[in-house]
Amino acid sequence: MKGIKPVTRKELYHIFRDPKSLIIIFLMPVIMIFLYGYAISFDLNNINIGILDYSGSEISGKFIGKFLHNDYFTRVGLKSGEHQSLGTYEKKLKAGEIDEIIIIPSDFSKKVRSGIPVEVGFVIDGSDSNTANIIYQYNEMVIFDFLEEYQNIRDIFKVNTKIYFNPELKSAYFFIPGLIAVLLLMISALLTSLSISREKESGSIDLIFISPVKSYEIIIGKTIAYVFVAFAVESIILLFSKFWFGIPIKGNLLVLFGFSLIYIFTGLSLGIMISITTPDQKTSMLGTLLVTMLPSIMLSGFIFPLTSLAEPLRLISNIIPATYFLKIIRGVVLKGASVSDFLFNGLILLLMSVILIFLAVRKFSRMRRIAG
Amino acid sequence: MNENIIEVRELKKKFGDFIAVNSINFGVRKGEILGFLGPNGAGKTTTIKMIMGLLSITSGDIIIDGINLAKSKEVKEKLGYMSQKFSLYPKLSAIENIEFFAGISGLGKKKIKSKIDELQDIVQKDLLDRSVDKLPPGIKQKVALYASLIPDPDILLLDEPTSGVDPEVRRNFWQEIYNIKKRGKTILVTTHNLDEVEYADRIVILHRGNIIVEGEPSELIREHGVDSVETLFKEAVRDYEGN
Repeated sequence: MKGIKPVTRKELYHIFRDPKSLIIIFLMPVIMIFLYGYAISFDLNNINIGILDYSGSEISGKFIGKFLHNDYFTRVGLKSGEHQSLGTYEKKLKAGEIDEIIIIPSDFSKKVRSGIPVEVGFVIDGSDSNTANIIYQYNEMVIFDFLEEYQNIRDIFKVNTKIYFNPELKSAYFFIPGLIAVLLLMISALLTSLSISREKESGSIDLIFISPVKSYEIIIGKTIAYVFVAFAVESIILLFSKFWFGIPIKGNLLVLFGFSLIYIFTGLSLGIMISITTPDQKTSMLGTLLVTMLPSIMLSGFIFPLTSLAEPLRLISNIIPATYFLKIIRGVVLKGASVSDFLFNGLILLLMSVILIFLAVRKFSRMRRIAG
Repeated sequence: MNENIIEVRELKKKFGDFIAVNSINFGVRKGEILGFLGPNGAGKTTTIKMIMGLLSITSGDIIIDGINLAKSKEVKEKLGYMSQKFSLYPKLSAIENIEFFAGISGLGKKKIKSKIDELQDIVQKDLLDRSVDKLPPGIKQKVALYASLIPDPDILLLDEPTSGVDPEVRRNFWQEIYNIKKRGKTILVTTHNLDEVEYADRIVILHRGNIIVEGEPSELIREHGVDSVETLFKEAVRDYEGN
């Protein structure tokens, strides 16, 4: 029993004299508690809707008003040059710009006046099965409110709801492409995050430092090597998704791989950055998990819809690479979206990669200069 | 022969309050083997790392072939380095290691190929593709030494190259160092094995960051009237501690 005390004391010294690991260990639960307890909820308060009101009547205006005069729905209008048509809104649905389309037929007012059954159409994006279910319930709530006011049409008012992209609202369709986005970022970053810290630990970095090789050549060389590994990992996950879980890949695989290449570069350059700033492999790995997994799961829209995040967290979600790739992969895999639907997301990821590579090269050069 | 290719002037390195190297002065003459001796923690590796430009200098100057290291980083191209901590990537074969080091040294395809061809004089054919961690220690060391010569440096800095190897491997390794010297290279080699002194043209003994002995081994023994460098070292340490 006498041995316990010195062992415990030694371990405590170890724990408290490794401030970087300590910060990560303490920061992780604090962030989790903060995220779950305060900032994240499954409630939706910003459902983007496109409205096709072919009737343009007073009563259709009242019906639309019920949707717009609450905290849940926000109308998304048309940009200049866009036509008021179902096709236009379907494209927006595919690109993730809206979550739902409401279609009011041209004879809506006439039928209501004549007491003939009338049908209002709803098209919900089912790629996020959880959100789609909540939107469906909110629709019911608003319609109930409307019919409370217009009790005389209660019997003739019909609703026709269609769920696009995932009609059976299978949660696997929603989670698995999202999981690919989370895993791909984490694995890409992990691959490179260990590479420089490993060289630092072994001392091989000294031989690289004294060689005439340029800093950018080292960073880019390391990044390129791991692109192939990350691509192989993505291919395996996609194969499993399709053949094991039956996820339909509706879009073009080349489009997906094209966007993935940019995303993988973002992850790899992020890993390099972490690797340069951490002293050893252990801290590097912990740092990578903290920087990639936690925000990607919590703040990218993987589980919680972005609209349900508190404003500061929604702002943070804008700098998380998974936020952009998640839209792309769900769009391409579940909705059959094309390159043009996600040009903005692709450009943001490209910009992130370029900035991260640039910062990594600068930081690495600085480390090299300080060494010498 | 007396021209200094490396001149270290008032070189100091502090880590916080700890002085690892305490304003030392010494020179390495062109074409000689200078043994940089001292026990672990004497400041040998710190000094060699400062000469290599791998560690910042607290104060002092390092002059290489007449050029101050602080003013021209290009002068580092005259230096080759083999470290005690790391010399080769263990999971790569000898060929792959040489390809890598030749590649980052900026050698072209033809030169890389000739370097690999030359490697066959050191490593027997059936071992060439074996990962380095599975090579016998003697061969591994020869490959590491060969790798450090790839940029064709004028000066070779070897940091504890013989630590952890048996006496026979050590003897063979020193033979290799002599062969390199014959090719006109200057060699600065650190070791904590005082019995290796016989191989060096001159020695510098470092203790707690200070130079306590400097000169040719045979002359030092004669001057101090001792039977070996080891005795000389012990006396010098005792004198130093007495002060």
